[in-house]
Amino acid sequence: MASLSYREKTLYASLVAELIVYGPYFFLHQQNSVNKVAGMIVAIIVLQVVLQLIIAAFTRNRRTDERDKLIELRGYRAGYLVVASLMVVGLAMLWFHSTMGQMHFDNPKIGLHFLNVFFGMLVIADITKTATQIVAYRRAL
Amino acid sequence: MPAIRNQIRELRAQREITQQDLADRVGVTRQTVIAMEQDKYSPSLETAFKVALELGVPIEQCFQYDPKGKR
Repeated sequence: MASLSYREKTLYASLVAELIVYGPYFFLHQQNSVNKVAGMIVAIIVLQVVLQLIIAAFTRNRRTDERDKLIELRGYRAGYLVVASLMVVGLAMLWFHSTMGQMHFDNPKIGLHFLNVFFGMLVIADITKTATQIVAYRRAL
Repeated sequence: MPAIRNQIRELRAQREITQQDLADRVGVTRQTVIAMEQDKYSPSLETAFKVALELGVPIEQCFQYDPKGKR
């Protein structure tokens, strides 16, 4: 860990936090609720703050530079591309199912279903962003 | 071959400056100095000038541009 920069350490911590908190989202999809999604958002914030504080406490040199900013931008670009692509796929599927008469908008759980889908998109984009940044650091950019 | 190459490692070794020392003087992380020395990262013009200044050489002696190189 000594050879990693401060920014790189925080990225590994973010990835761990994302996988711990969001991981169950993909496996407990049927049991999701608005409260569960809200709980995950609170949990990720709390876990991120705790992990970042620990890393900051044990890292003397917390300098970031132009390369860190460039890698950060690459990560956000990858995340944006993923969320935009998933949005297009999602809209196409919505259009397809509604055309085939398979969408039941009178279903009381339709709102929760959309919440799950959109939250899932954001989760995938967030993990992609972090993973892209880690790969960029490992490749030395 | 990369489009921008540099002699940071050689110049630094001649002056017996560590990667961390150079990073501190230039205001970047040690990992960025490593990436530059491996020709994996092309710094901004400002950082390139700072590196050359700290190594005490003109910028063209420190960094070279190869138009046929891979960007």
